[in-house]
Amino acid sequence: MNFDTTIGEENISTLHVEGKILGNATDTFRKEMEMQLQTGHDKLVVDLTNVPLIDSSALGAIVTTLKSCQESGGKLVLLNPQKAVQEVLEVTHLATVIEIYDTEESARDAFM
Amino acid sequence: MAETILVVDDDLDILELLKMNLEPEGYNVRTASDGDSAVQNARIDPPDLILLDVMMPHKNGFQVIEELKDIEETKSVPVILVTARGQTEDKVRGLDTGADDYITKPFDLREVTARVEAVLGRTRPIKYINPLMRAMGERFSEEGLEQLAGHLQAAAAIQKKLLPEQAPSLDGYDIATLLQSSTSVSGDFYDFIPLSETQIGIVLGDVKGNGIPAALLMVMIRTALRLLCHEEDTPALILKRINDLVARDTEADLFATMIYGILDTETSTFTYSNGGHCYPLHWNTTRNIDVLKTGGMLIGAFEEATFTTGTCLLAPGDILVFYTDGITETEAGDDPGSDGNHGVSKNPEQSDVDQDGIPTDTFYGGDRLAVCLSKNAALSASALCEAVVNDLALFSGSTQTPDDRALIVIKRDV
Repeated sequence: MNFDTTIGEENISTLHVEGKILGNATDTFRKEMEMQLQTGHDKLVVDLTNVPLIDSSALGAIVTTLKSCQESGGKLVLLNPQKAVQEVLEVTHLATVIEIYDTEESARDAFM
Repeated sequence: MAETILVVDDDLDILELLKMNLEPEGYNVRTASDGDSAVQNARIDPPDLILLDVMMPHKNGFQVIEELKDIEETKSVPVILVTARGQTEDKVRGLDTGADDYITKPFDLREVTARVEAVLGRTRPIKYINPLMRAMGERFSEEGLEQLAGHLQAAAAIQKKLLPEQAPSLDGYDIATLLQSSTSVSGDFYDFIPLSETQIGIVLGDVKGNGIPAALLMVMIRTALRLLCHEEDTPALILKRINDLVARDTEADLFATMIYGILDTETSTFTYSNGGHCYPLHWNTTRNIDVLKTGGMLIGAFEEATFTTGTCLLAPGDILVFYTDGITETEAGDDPGSDGNHGVSKNPEQSDVDQDGIPTDTFYGGDRLAVCLSKNAALSASALCEAVVNDLALFSGSTQTPDDRALIVIKRDV
């Protein structure tokens, strides 16, 4: 798994992830999101366009970060999850509490 | 897992009577005919429960309890006192001394069995949770780490004990289970809870996260479920209460997914709710596969989560399948050529399945499970479990299980 983070206008962070978020990669993923929060970036877009699968620990990391963002008045949204990931989000009903967008533009608009 | 009861009475006829009554209920029964041998017996190999007569020569029941409470090995063993009728003072004193319940002589044997089961039901969860709680509180000194390894083993053993050794036998239904653990402490669990003559509660779940916290969460959920399934009417309410309990008491990244439902043999229905778990499959002799989607959020992350209850009708020959994501997320084997075993492990049938748009380089998936189920619907429940395991091996090119896998197959007799 690789990722890079870009900070856009309105202080919105976009985390582009590439590869499966499984096992040890989950820790890296969690830490990166934590770091965004610690540096005051509580408006997070997690770009899942290139993520074929995530495991349950990664889901846990997303849930924890989502709650932290909400507590500090921010938000976490997901961008373009692929079929397998979308299915996991639906089965777990996380899709009902996390905003999911198809395009980067609409994801960023969610914070306006 | 038979539980052991130590029966203590100076009247040998009563000892024999109680033994004859309790053994057919599935308990191991040991006996002692005086206070001293009772204490010694309990200390050497602590039983799960002691039925203790109060009026005995040399050392009476109260003295025996006091001694038991002073011994590390026996202090938490529950005790039911057997007293003479009308001796209210005895009862009060007994409960003060630390007895868990009392029975008055002459007793009704059905009452004895009921009280034994009630006390064991109350103390069983505490007995299992205590070692885990101690492990959680351990500091990570060298000594602590050694202890932790021991506790992990203990936790694994406890989990094994908590899982039913075999599927229940239920008139008109064929039930089989499968559990494959990738590590010593499994995140997957299932349980069967008899609710009445014609109803059985069925749970299958997957605790997310690792090690002792996850094991502890599983024990917590299982225990809560065992208690709540007698209090609440609908599976949705039961999941709601478990969700609120877990959400309040744990971090957000420790959660579970689970399905709980009631199989009713009288109405031939399965009434269920799903807390974010893989959708169960219902193979119906006329309409093929139904995916049971009623439910709600995964358990333990959001206090505001709500759940709904669904019902499905089981016709003769119908099959219900519950599974964990260790099955559907099994990865496909490597490309042909990179692995010498491929000629053996792949067969032409696999490409037929793949035309559903499931590429070979991804995951087993619910669709392929449904196909496997349909193909093998004529088999018995246990043969169906085996067919799924074989299909997984075929798909992944390996018999190794990288993740925990659990499977329950319920088939209504034709």
